[in-house]
Amino acid sequence: MNEPFFSEFFGTIGMLDSIRVTIIMSFFSTLISSILGVTLAILLERSTFPMKRLVVRINRTMMGAPPVVMGLLTYMLLRKRGPLGFLGWVFTIQGMVTAQTLIITPIICGMVYSYLVREAPRIRAFAHTMGANRMQTNLLILREIRNEVYFSVVSGYGRSISEVGAVFLVGGNIKNVTRTMTTAISTLKGAGDYYEGVFLGIILMLMAFVVQTLADWFRKEVREDENY
Amino acid sequence: MRITDLTRRQGDFLLKIDNAYFEPGKIHGMIGSNGSGKSTLAKLIMGIIPADSGCIDYEGLTPRDITMTGQKPYLLHSSVYQNLIYPLKIRGIEPRAELVDQWLEKAGLQHKRKQYALSLSSGEQQRLSFARALIFGPKLVIVDETLSNLAPDGVRLFESIMEQQQRENPITWITISHQLVHISKLCDEVHFMEQGRLVQSGTPEQVLKHPTNPSVIQYLANTEVSFKG
Repeated sequence: MNEPFFSEFFGTIGMLDSIRVTIIMSFFSTLISSILGVTLAILLERSTFPMKRLVVRINRTMMGAPPVVMGLLTYMLLRKRGPLGFLGWVFTIQGMVTAQTLIITPIICGMVYSYLVREAPRIRAFAHTMGANRMQTNLLILREIRNEVYFSVVSGYGRSISEVGAVFLVGGNIKNVTRTMTTAISTLKGAGDYYEGVFLGIILMLMAFVVQTLADWFRKEVREDENY
Repeated sequence: MRITDLTRRQGDFLLKIDNAYFEPGKIHGMIGSNGSGKSTLAKLIMGIIPADSGCIDYEGLTPRDITMTGQKPYLLHSSVYQNLIYPLKIRGIEPRAELVDQWLEKAGLQHKRKQYALSLSSGEQQRLSFARALIFGPKLVIVDETLSNLAPDGVRLFESIMEQQQRENPITWITISHQLVHISKLCDEVHFMEQGRLVQSGTPEQVLKHPTNPSVIQYLANTEVSFKG
């Protein structure tokens, strides 16, 4: 590959902007989903109410909901005549983050909830025998399932950067504005530019690898701090 | 600590303690067949599960004065040291090096302070759990079958820690065990439970040597092999 190829390739598909959009979108959607998902999981585990089983079942169903359907629902909510049309988020990164949050939150919530159901009663009983107050008990539970929370968040992030359907529908795949790396790959495939698509795919995987490495490094630091 | 008209139903099982008194500063042994309600009573005293009715008069003890250690102790996903100082940390007490070293030595874990707690052997985990339960100076300790599955030297270590504690600073113990030798040797009072009821209480001599209740006689007859006290 020579220099003209790269400059042409970068410009035609808007690669640098697609990387920028992907990073912003996946970061914010993962962050918001993590906060929402973990909080909802804790509330769900702690509370007892009629139809709780139904709520859990709905959450599990949402974990496997087709992204394109979630994208369509988000689009209908955000379009000009939709209930949230006043936000003006359709064909924007905010709209794409909204769609991805709807997709990822149930995944993180469902995974953390299943860990909590299994582990929290034991941890709570232990904390009680140690004399921990409510706040200390909740912090301990979060601390004790931190690895599981971490895996849930990483799974959510993986879903975020790999998703095409919802961001296509809500973002509109507008070059330099809402085009992500996955929608760019899809566009390249449509144009028959397979090699460029693979190249972009490799960059996407490298991004995932870098994030994973950073996360592992951070966890290692935590372990060393604890004097294992 | 006095228990009055305490009830707790769990499915078909009903725990019903009309009246029981655990004298402070003594070691109380709780014996009885499996499923007789010993652990349920321990959890009720600890406040892990609520009672359906009745009351427990802790005579001034607060939840922070009471602790419990079980057969399968919960250990934090952390080092031996972090596990040991956890009760101090949540009380805002600075863990003094000499105090920590003293308890690590008592538990025979002085060379494993940095080791990941869950990688310890089961006996070491029990000892760590026991040390962690005592490091903050509780006034009532419930030992729920902690001695089961322990090697004889492990049991002796537990007994020596309990004896030392009673010599230096007596606290109230409720120890649930099937090891009648241990109960006979250490306890000031023994309580026998059968089908959710406390059927006989008294000194080890009274309960283990001269039982009056048919259930106790039957239980001791069945466990005669393990009891050589």
